Amino acid sequence: MPDTATDVRRRIRELLAEVFGGWGFVSTVDASASLREAGVPSTALVALLVAMEDAFGFEWDDDVRPEVLRSIDSLAGHIETLRA
Amino acid sequence: MPALTAGIPAAVAARMSLAIHPVPAPYGAAQQFTAGRRAAARALALAGSACRVVPRQAGGRPLFPPAFAGSISHTGRLALAVVVPGASAVGCDIENAAITARMTRFVLHTPERRTLLEQAGYSARDLFAAKEAAFKALSGTAGTGRFWFWQIRLSQDGGALRAAYGGLTVPVWMSSRADLSVAVAIRH
Repeated sequence: MPDTATDVRRRIRELLAEVFGGWGFVSTVDASASLREAGVPSTALVALLVAMEDAFGFEWDDDVRPEVLRSIDSLAGHIETLRA
Repeated sequence: MPALTAGIPAAVAARMSLAIHPVPAPYGAAQQFTAGRRAAARALALAGSACRVVPRQAGGRPLFPPAFAGSISHTGRLALAVVVPGASAVGCDIENAAITARMTRFVLHTPERRTLLEQAGYSARDLFAAKEAAFKALSGTAGTGRFWFWQIRLSQDGGALRAAYGGLTVPVWMSSRADLSVAVAIRH
């Protein structure tokens, strides 16, 4: 399981590459950019969130705040908060 | 190709102006965006709008001309636009992606899976598209705040689905084919 903040961000990028667009797309996405505005479709976003549950060993709360799911940075921040 | 409004009651379909435009190669985000705007221009023309330009708002949402509420969606190969003159908000979604069992459990709550998937016979892709279309019609409405489409609750309401969130509801009309689900939500 990824340990450091850098590892978490790298793993999220790997998961995103697996569910949408490959590295050609993911390498162009800034960590702070909105994934939806970057072109990630809703199906891929959900696939990413499900993959994160498996990769990081947790379950998303139904009432997770929208801003948590906005970007690679915010997703990674959530993982780091869970581990704190 | 069967009409994309097949399954939508004629009285509802008659109020919609719907247009599609193919996404050209290499099927990337730029091509999808342009195809969506071309479909929107065609739908606006069919609806009688003199303005056929749909700029992008902050946040990426399309800004339709006043009195011509509309919505745009696309797959990797096909863009869809729906305009409903006089509606307060419209949301559409066109979906061809595979929805896995895990994704289904993530997006659909237990009562939705029991009543709509198992009993009413909708596919997971249909219901995914329905929530997306409803989200577009409901988000930005005063009082809803920010939310994600899967937080919307769906139920059966006669020949349509009814989507609810934050005290607001919107009917969602479905047209489903083997390879494609189309959902249109219209708020009046």
